[in-house]
Amino acid sequence: MALPERDPFEALFERGVTDGLPVVPPTRERVAAMVAGSGREADELIALVPPNFGRATVEKIAINAVMAGCRPEYLPVVIAGVLAMCDDAFDLHGVSATTNFHSPLFIVNGPARTALDINCGAGAFGPGWRANATIGRALRLIVANVGGASARTMSMSTMAHPGRYTYCIGEHEEENPWDSLAVEHGFAQDESTVAAFAAEAPHGVYDHRSATAKDLLITISRSLEVISHHKSTHHGDTLVVLSPEHARTIAGDGWSKADMREFLWHRLRKPVSELIPGLDGGDGLPAHVMAKFPHPETDATLIPKFREPGNLKFLVAGGTAGRFSAVIPGWTFPRMSRLVIKKVQSPREGL
Amino acid sequence: MTTEEFLDPTDSVAVPRKTAARLATLDGKVITLLDISKAKGDHLLDRVEELLLERAKPKAIVRRKKPTFARPAPEDLRAEILKTSDAVIEALAD
Repeated sequence: MALPERDPFEALFERGVTDGLPVVPPTRERVAAMVAGSGREADELIALVPPNFGRATVEKIAINAVMAGCRPEYLPVVIAGVLAMCDDAFDLHGVSATTNFHSPLFIVNGPARTALDINCGAGAFGPGWRANATIGRALRLIVANVGGASARTMSMSTMAHPGRYTYCIGEHEEENPWDSLAVEHGFAQDESTVAAFAAEAPHGVYDHRSATAKDLLITISRSLEVISHHKSTHHGDTLVVLSPEHARTIAGDGWSKADMREFLWHRLRKPVSELIPGLDGGDGLPAHVMAKFPHPETDATLIPKFREPGNLKFLVAGGTAGRFSAVIPGWTFPRMSRLVIKKVQSPREGL
Repeated sequence: MTTEEFLDPTDSVAVPRKTAARLATLDGKVITLLDISKAKGDHLLDRVEELLLERAKPKAIVRRKKPTFARPAPEDLRAEILKTSDAVIEALAD
């Protein structure tokens, strides 16, 4: 059967404004309803989106949210995501233009998770939840359509990863024995927030046998040790996503997030003698660092994997069954992207 | 539903920038070689410098470096290059 002459889905593909999947046609009616969901004026400027510094007005955000399949009540969360990823500390310019893998990962905290049915439990990173799928997708479409970081042109990641279609989860606060990510960063428990984190894909850490915090964190440290490569050092913000079962094991031993950070940071240091380029792999410490150590092969000076303990960020997410956690490497270079959290401003009560 | 009714998801304010006029010759010119601070960028620019000196007679070759490849060059560095150079070669490596 031939397509209708003016098939709307094909027309939008031809305009080059999709992510390779079909989008919902952004009609005036749909966009008007989406704008109304924000409680803001259509022409209000929310942010300039790097790298082209396109103007993300409420209407432009709404058009992309319609295309992604969002419901109007999601728009305040999408707007908070725009504010987070366009904050200078996030460095969206670099995240969008890099040859690295990264994509912004959006993490929702607070009552918006339940009000909008954002999955933070089983399969949190996977498909099946409209809010996760479409909020993350709307933000990616905004990066490409408003920021100009389209695949094949500005966005030249060597490989990228599937999170560049959509990458949005909620924290499983009900299973979190500690303060949530947002509370830890100064927000109130009853505030909804969106965090942007420049993230690789989740890397699974399996540990079915550790019964103590120390044993389990040693396993996790072994996975953190090899991010980027086994001799890379001085990483910035990196995310450890603990499953509820793993979080319970660690908290059950009385360990705080600060205890985890200190333990992992100290453990994840290696002597210069193990970081020499050409020894056990060609990569290693850069030349200007090596120059500080005249006898590197015997030098026991410890070099940290992470610049500071605070670079290790913890989140509890996923289903209540399964002793699996994940490490998610950040975009780590000097003056790199940092985790940024913004409050959701919604016209709805309790969001 | 006609496709003309669809609103534009892109930002129409962004316009492509024009490139500067090309130099007719490198002889007598000041050329800045800008290292974006990626690994081995200096190897690449060392070779570019050798070739420039071999094939042309520039007045001077100036070496500059971005603090990080992760962000655009700082405004003062861009202004300095504009003020002092006739041409700039910005190099990636890895």
